[in-house]
Order: sequence, then C-alpha cells, then structure tokens
Amino acid sequence: MKRTLIASAAAALMALSSAAHADVVKFGIIAPFSGPFAVWGKQFKDSVEAFQKLNGKTVNGHEIQVIWRDEGAGDASKSRQFAEELILREKVNVLGGFALTPDAIAVSEVITEAKTPTIILNAATSVITRKSPYFLRVSMTVAQYLSPLGGWAVKNGIKTAYSMVSDYAPGHDAEGEFVGDFEKAGGKIVGKDRIPLNVTDFAPYMERALQSKADALFIFAPAGAPSVAMVREFERRGLKAAGMKLLGSGEMQEIFLPSFGDSILGAISSTHYTESNKRPENVAFRKALNETAGKDAVPDMASIAAWDAMGLVYATVKSLGPKFNGDQAINFMKAQTINSPRGPISFDPKERDVIQNVYIREVKKVDGKLVNVDIATFDKVRDPWKDAHPDAK
Amino acid sequence: MEVLTILLDGISYGMVLFIISVGLTVTMGLMRVVNLAHGAFAMVGGYIATVLVLQAGVPFLLSALIAAVVAGALGGLAELTVYRPLYRKGELPQVLLTIGLCFVAIAGLTFFVGPTPLPAIVPSWLDRMVDIGYRSYPAYRLFLIAVGTLLAFIVWLIVERSLFGARLRAAVDDPQMARAVGMNVNRMFTVTFVGGCALAGFGGAIGAGVLPLEPFYALRYLVYFLIVVAVGGMGSFRGSLLAALAIGIVDTAGRYTVPQFGGFLLYVLVFGLLLWRPNGLLPPKSVA
Repeated sequence: MKRTLIASAAAALMALSSAAHADVVKFGIIAPFSGPFAVWGKQFKDSVEAFQKLNGKTVNGHEIQVIWRDEGAGDASKSRQFAEELILREKVNVLGGFALTPDAIAVSEVITEAKTPTIILNAATSVITRKSPYFLRVSMTVAQYLSPLGGWAVKNGIKTAYSMVSDYAPGHDAEGEFVGDFEKAGGKIVGKDRIPLNVTDFAPYMERALQSKADALFIFAPAGAPSVAMVREFERRGLKAAGMKLLGSGEMQEIFLPSFGDSILGAISSTHYTESNKRPENVAFRKALNETAGKDAVPDMASIAAWDAMGLVYATVKSLGPKFNGDQAINFMKAQTINSPRGPISFDPKERDVIQNVYIREVKKVDGKLVNVDIATFDKVRDPWKDAHPDAK
Repeated sequence: MEVLTILLDGISYGMVLFIISVGLTVTMGLMRVVNLAHGAFAMVGGYIATVLVLQAGVPFLLSALIAAVVAGALGGLAELTVYRPLYRKGELPQVLLTIGLCFVAIAGLTFFVGPTPLPAIVPSWLDRMVDIGYRSYPAYRLFLIAVGTLLAFIVWLIVERSLFGARLRAAVDDPQMARAVGMNVNRMFTVTFVGGCALAGFGGAIGAGVLPLEPFYALRYLVYFLIVVAVGGMGSFRGSLLAALAIGIVDTAGRYTVPQFGGFLLYVLVFGLLLWRPNGLLPPKSVA
C-alpha cells in the first residue's frame, strides 16, 4: 500500500517535471544459466540482446535495463529469493523469466504482495497464471500447443497411436491432451508408456512401440538431452522404416534438428512457433539474432517468448511512461495484440494467458537443410485446460 | 526372440558403461580416491570427438581415438597436479575437489560449446539396420558390443596376463606391501589413471548414441558409473564388466517388461546385491 502511494506520488511529481527527464526502467529476469536447463537462460538472453540491438536500449529517452539472475538447476526457492532481491533492492518495475513451473509458482506470493507485473517466459503448466493477478504469460501451455494434434492425426489417416511421455507433470498433461483428442476424433490408442525422467537409454521403450505396430508414435519429453535421445532412438531402431509416423511438439524444434539424421524427415510436430516462417517480423527477428548471437544461432520457443516480453515492456513504457504501478502495467499489457514473429498473439484478459495460433509442421529438407514447414494452422487457440477447469486454482 | 532383443540392447548399453567405468574402478580401488570427476573425462572425450567429426570432418573412429588420447593426457595432467596431493587427504576433500572439477568441466563446455545437447556422431555406415536372422537390428548397437568385447579382452590381457597387470593387481590387493617390495606404485598410479581416462574418453565418444552428450553429462550419468564400481567391487576388472553387463541387461529388461517402474528395477537390484555382497560381486582380496 505504502509502496503504491509512494509510486503514485513519484509518478505525479514526474509528470510535473516533464517527460524530458530520463529515467531507468528495470526488467528483472530470473532464468537458469547453469545446470541442466542452462539452454533456456542462454536463449532468453540472446533474444533480449537482439531485441535491444534492433530497437535500441531506450524508449522516449528512458533507459530499459535488463537485470539477469541465474537460478541454477531449477531451484524454486532460489527463484523466490531472487524475486525478493530484485523487487526490494533493485526495485525492478517488471519481473520475468521462469523456465520451469515451480520457479514461477514460487514467486506468486511475492509479486502479489509487491504488485509487480511479472511476465512468464516459459513455465507451461496451465494453472500458473491463476496463482497471482500480476502474472502474464507470453509463452504457451502444453495443453494449448498440443490441442490440435490428436484431431489432425485422425483426419490425416492415422488410426492407431502409441503414446510415450516423460513421467512428470507436463508429460501427463501432454498425454491427457493428445490421448483425449485422438480418441474423441475416433482414433485408437494401443499403448501408453510413462518414462522416468532419469532414463537415458530409450531402446526398450522404442522396442515396445515398434512391436505395437501402431500407425504413429506420440512423444513428449523435456526439450533438450532427453528429447533428443528419444528421437534418436526412434530413428535408429527403424520405427520409421516400419511405417510409423512420429508425432510430437518441442522435440522437433529447429534448434534440435541438426542432432538428427534424414530419418527425421516427415516427423510431425504441433507448436506455436515455426522457426522458418517468412513473416517480416520473423525475418527481422532472426536477422537481429544472427547479428548479435552469431550466424549459427537458431531461435526456439524460449527466444520468441523473451522477444515478445521485451516488446511488451517497451510498449508499456511508451504508453505509460517510466513510472507505472503493477495494476496499470498488467491491465495495459493484457490488452495488447502483438504481431509476433510467431504470428499474431493476444491475451485472455481474465486469465492473463496468451492466445495464439498453433501450427502443425512437418520436417522437410529445404536447400539441403532440415527445417519445419507449416502444413496446417489453427487460429487463435486458447488454453483448453482453463476452459475445462474454470474454477481450479 | 524378444529375450534376444532385450539381451542385445542390454549388453550394448552395458558395454558402454563398462568402457567408461573400468577406469573409475581402478582409481577408486587402487588409489582409494573418491573420483567423482570421472564422468567429466568421458564427457570431454565425447565433446572432442564430436567437434572433430562435425567441424573438421575427421572420420568417426579416428576422432574417437584422438578423443581417447586427449582425455588420457588430460587425465595424466590432472593426476600429477590435482589428484596426487589428494591421496593422503580424507574422503571429504576428495569428494569436494573432484565434484568441483565436474562443475568446472560443465561450466567450461557450456561456455565454449553451448548448453544444447550435441548431435550424434554415429557415422552413416553404423546408422542403419542390419538383418540378424530373426529381425533387423541397429548396426550401431552391434558395433558397441563388438568394441566393448574387444576392449574387455585387451584390458583382461593387460591386467591378468602382463607383468604390469600382475603388479597392478598386487598393488590393488596390498598397496603397502607392494611399496615395501620396491614397486613404484606412484608411477603405476599415473599410468593406470591415464589409461582409465583414455578409456573413458573413448567410451564417451563412441557411446554418444546411447549416453547423449550435453554439458551436464558429467553428473547425469555419474550415478551409473558409480553403481558399476560399487556392484562390481572396487578395483575388480572382471567385477566391473560383470556389473556393467548386469546393469545394462536388468535396466533394459525392466523397462521393456514393466515400463511403469522404469529404472526402478535397477535400484532394487543394486540394493539387493549390496545387501548380499557389501563389497561388490568380485572384490579384490584386500577388501574381501
């Protein structure tokens, strides 16, 4: 309460002393830069640097300062600690980051108390945005980007499928979403495996899937080493030669495609960002990224979320000026429609969750390089979990 | 026939574990050093081979050999500079320092190569299916079994049939007595450490298709390497082969038949085995 008073008093003073006075707006980002999830932090940071290179580091003369904190190996208590530090000591105007769901949930009380607008850059469990009225999600939910896949598969001649997911909450969400939609559309699930997260050799699971003789194999694993190992085993064990179609989501992101051989050709994935799309926003984004992070830098879901979060912060400062309180910022941000490199996105004003297109893509070879090519687009997909559970907290 | 498939999958997986872990069994058995950085040598070997194959176009087998040489050299350097002062220290400093080495390797590779998992460097002549009579089977896995068998045989020759091996076994069984009769145990330590690290580097390179390379490799698979040593018996070469194969087969069979328990079965096996034989399957005489 006191903070708000001081903030609004300061804002009033600022208005008096004219806008010509330059201010610093601080955006604190908590993400893993070390440990097994370090790739998220790197992608966020590359993307933010590319954004500032393209759009400058100031808005109307006010400097936008991004402050990074490394939460390490997915440590939720550290995430909360950094949130407190960033809010109390650094006095950040906007908070953001969070690769994993527990990291985001851990800060919900802190940001509610401090009324700090907080942009979720990855954490994909549906319920998170209901944990605080100051959360806004620019990334996705698992149920959201998988929702079209089951129906699409049945419509495209896949009658039976085998489901193989990692045994953790997003894996269960993914299994539920795919299996539910696939069966509703008339498909038949012939087997379901949940694989413990510590498993490294997927040979026995792929052997089971192979023996099931299903038309398709649906997979879901944490993007990174586990998902790469899973797809490699699919290739090596000859499931494709046996006529099975591979269905997935983040496993087939462009950033991982060089890890696979040509047997990945034809793999289908369902996500909210096709890296090779030719929208002018995406072309500009990739160009800026290649200029700052090197010519081999490839964007992924994490990059796109950080990019759009920066866009939101810049737009907020442009409209509200450098001094704003949490309610003003959240209300402003959730009303935005962005022409993102992934396509148009907007927000559900009640849930503060992203609404975006979901693309069904196929891995193809273009100019000798493996890329994802859109073969179907589903417009303005909401998070189906929220609609199915209107009262869950 | 399913049984045969599980056996092949399990043995090929176990062979990779064996190649990487056999060096660790020496360090822990012979030198009594709790060497938690062993996985880092395998990881560095794997990274070197991958970079050579992808950036310089070096053939797969040659780059795996170079990886072994470099990992061995790094191991020798580490032995002389970092490990030697540790031999007389307690276990806690050893754990702290070697786990610290792990973190250095992880941070270094994240910084220089990046945090994403590396592409598989399985060459096209291995990345195919071959007909083995009753089904077609990945050639890569057969290759792992062949190489593992060959290396196991070479290690067996050195350890059981050479003068160096006889001395090594003597030093494992009773280091004090070995010193007393005039053996240069220190030099033997260095040589074995280099050999163990070279094998780990080689295993990390050729086994990348089974244990995918990423900066966290050094810690992610450490528990498997330690299980091989604990179950096999510290300092026992035959023990580590037996343990690695048993782990590979049981882990694979468990996941194939009761996937909902996943890797759980492995830990039950380890638990039971260590209850039954706390010093491992084939412990050296000094421990048993």
